[in-house]
Amino acid sequence: MEDLISAIKKVLEQVDVVLGWARSEAAGVAAPAFFHTPAEAEGAIFDSTCVHNLAVHLPRLADKKAGIVAKGCDARSIAQLIAEGIIKRERVTVIGVACPGVIDVKKAWRCFGFGKRVSDSGGQVAMEGKTVKREEILLRKCRGCREAGPVIRDVTVGEVGKAPAAPADPAGIRKRFAAMSFAERRQFWQDQFSRCIRCYACREACPLCFCRDVCTMQAHEPGWSGGATNSSQSWMAQLVRISHMAGRCTGCEECERACPVGIPLMLLLEEQNAVVEELFGYRAGSGTEAKTPFLTFDVNNDSWEQER
Amino acid sequence: MNTVPRKGTKAKEPFVPELARLIDVIEETPGVRSFRVVFEDVAVMSAFSFAPGQIGLMGIPGVGESTFAISSPPSRRDYIQFSVMKTGFVTSAIHELEAGDAVAVRAPLGCGFPVDSWKGKNILIAGGGIGMAPLRSLLLHLLDRRDEFGGIRVFYGARTPADLCFAGDRAEWERRQDIDFIATVDRRQPGWSGRTGVVPDVLESERPPAQDTVAVACGPPVMIRYTLAALKRLGFSEDRVYTTLERKMKCGIGLCGRCNVGSKYVCTDGPVFSLADLGNEI
Amino acid sequence: MRFLREENIPLLLHRLSESATVWAPQVVRDTVNTVLFSPWLEGAEVETGLYSMLSAKELVLPATERLFSYRYSQAGGREKIEINADAPQEQAAIFAARACDAKGLAVMDALFLDRSGASYNDGQYRARRSGLTVITLACTTCDSACFCSSFEKGAAETAGSDIILYPATGGYLAEAVSKRGEELAALDLFRDSSLEKPELARTAKVELAGLGQRLFDIYDDLDFWRRTAEGCLSCGYCSYACPACHCFNIFDEAESDRTGGRFRCWDACMFYAYTQESSGNNPRPEPAHRYRNRLAHKFSYYPLNRGEILCTGCGRCIRGCPAGLDLRDAIRAVRAR
Repeated sequence: MEDLISAIKKVLEQVDVVLGWARSEAAGVAAPAFFHTPAEAEGAIFDSTCVHNLAVHLPRLADKKAGIVAKGCDARSIAQLIAEGIIKRERVTVIGVACPGVIDVKKAWRCFGFGKRVSDSGGQVAMEGKTVKREEILLRKCRGCREAGPVIRDVTVGEVGKAPAAPADPAGIRKRFAAMSFAERRQFWQDQFSRCIRCYACREACPLCFCRDVCTMQAHEPGWSGGATNSSQSWMAQLVRISHMAGRCTGCEECERACPVGIPLMLLLEEQNAVVEELFGYRAGSGTEAKTPFLTFDVNNDSWEQER
Repeated sequence: MNTVPRKGTKAKEPFVPELARLIDVIEETPGVRSFRVVFEDVAVMSAFSFAPGQIGLMGIPGVGESTFAISSPPSRRDYIQFSVMKTGFVTSAIHELEAGDAVAVRAPLGCGFPVDSWKGKNILIAGGGIGMAPLRSLLLHLLDRRDEFGGIRVFYGARTPADLCFAGDRAEWERRQDIDFIATVDRRQPGWSGRTGVVPDVLESERPPAQDTVAVACGPPVMIRYTLAALKRLGFSEDRVYTTLERKMKCGIGLCGRCNVGSKYVCTDGPVFSLADLGNEI
Repeated sequence: MRFLREENIPLLLHRLSESATVWAPQVVRDTVNTVLFSPWLEGAEVETGLYSMLSAKELVLPATERLFSYRYSQAGGREKIEINADAPQEQAAIFAARACDAKGLAVMDALFLDRSGASYNDGQYRARRSGLTVITLACTTCDSACFCSSFEKGAAETAGSDIILYPATGGYLAEAVSKRGEELAALDLFRDSSLEKPELARTAKVELAGLGQRLFDIYDDLDFWRRTAEGCLSCGYCSYACPACHCFNIFDEAESDRTGGRFRCWDACMFYAYTQESSGNNPRPEPAHRYRNRLAHKFSYYPLNRGEILCTGCGRCIRGCPAGLDLRDAIRAVRAR
């Protein structure tokens, strides 16, 4: 932690604020923190409960210079934001951290109860005498992690270089979903979206969703999607959001984590991401100079293949 | 939906509007039209009463409803007038309507001007653009009771001459000897022989005395801010300055939450407030 | 006091379900621990170990409800509108609400059923509320997000409940706190008991005294509000989860050219669109303005206007905040300012 704290302090000399994590007393796990002063930075932590993708705050800090502590997956979002011109490279200083994988905090709470201080060492997540293997409660995205380190970083804390080893996903819902007929899938999503309360936490937690205040899911003009919580409308609204994420979603899983009613949004996004990768050979967030398929259009040459 | 329609009910739910019909549509400016409405139910129409400054929600089922000031005076018993600026989704649809079309209305709502407490006092009215709508209601009401008040001075400004509403009324107000009416536009324009300059500036150059005078200001947010500041400099105390506020509203009855200015709801505590009511929260 | 044996719980739920839709906290299928109040079906497992992500308010203020339907027709060559108000007739019971959920209902009752105001007394709400039986499960344990002990009665709050079940060996002590609760307690599923009530949970506390005035005092300190709200993502979860938040939107939806309805649905003061006017003006353009209003409404404006704090200490906004914000930190910051 000393390395991280001194890195943040150093970066703070150059920027207005550094985004990182501190321990939330209530939750017993990490919570996003905004470090403005070296004294505040003393509270910085990094452990496997640092699940949040802090890149979501960068576009909102448009007029400030910011530092940000980033895991491999977070760095992809930052790279994509820069590639799309949403944030400026020179305004952000990335403190890349070596990430052991982060845990599904909801699973941890299921094991330990909310708010129990969680400690994590040697692959064991522990609290008040109880322990679980970290790999059992890893977030899904960490199981397929391909990040050998943050793709964009100005400062590095810890030893990066290889993706964390994690066992494959135990499948569960995904396996069941893959085996469904289209009619069953339709019913599956109808059921899932019947719980949607239109809190838009999915949108607000997404680092790449940038329409926000004027999002078609909510804007009263043109009123394409009312505020009614009916399954078809909520599903449609989400599909509109998700299709806008084609070639832009870095798979950070924040939308699904933020969803208070547990809708497995990543099922849709993972499928789409796989299609984009297959068709265009593109993974969002590969680099700051990357050309995003759906944001690249040349009237004289409308073939992505030739562009590449 | 676990609900069943209740047929033919007369028991009034707060969100169920009264059916009404347009009897006249008046083009005030390129963006503002006045709509004269009559309730379908004769009993509702004859029982309808309100105070100047009160508001109503007029709408088209299927499109939505919006909040407007009532711009006709209480003495008009044969119709209620709403003056509507075309700005958004609902107001654009309302602007498509013609005389004879059906609308749905919830009115009156909120609190009007405490005119009775102004008896014997001079009255100063400062209006900007569409903000003149509630002030028209107020002014016509004051004129209905002309001998109860002292001097009445009216400043009415708009960006251009074409943006000044209520042309017919203005001619009458300018002619009358018992009020002092000044219309002004932001900049000098060919064909405009009246005053130029924004309302706060004209107001300050005229230096109306604050003594025994109640001031009422209504207009766009910027105009209100500068007019209130001007009135303060002219010596008007906060309890003698009234304004009518506008906020996005949905329920009109203090439940839905969005129209509050500090602890006050514009829809129920307002839209008329004295500056003393508002404190630092405007 | 009456006593309900553990094994009689399914029988009670069954009995209730004969005349009402029974809502109970249940883990949503395919989720890790997402607990929601949802309609209970015979044999379903009730989850009482974890708190639900949403409060019980949707039973009286559904996320979406139709206020009325309309129909256009031609009559005498003129267009005519017909409007039919909706009147919910559903009977519902909620099982294992918590004292904080039930208190939220009581807080909303005072607002929606107020007969002193000129035009309140919301018919939809009244119909749903009068058809609702509230069976509260008293808390003998709590988690670190809970802070109901900050309020006078804490976990012993009875407002809004009909009957309260206190965990006891082999079952629950039952205390009726309304006429409807007494009728329920008189069922043969219960027997008399002389057991003592268990000790109830004592949660973390946050000091609320003087908070309302403090919020007024620092209203204009926008830098403070920007710092306080800087992690907020402006989503609507905290408002939607809150047992006392009741703000809503109203909008029309057409089913056809001639028919449709006017609906009310939850709205949240943290949304930009909540106060955005069609002129483009927005009195609360930044999250800081909105966060300030949210806090002030709960702890300053509403207490001033109606004598109640719009918070019951349920902790949902803390447990479920995607940005990890803790309302109590904001309260402490305001007090320390």
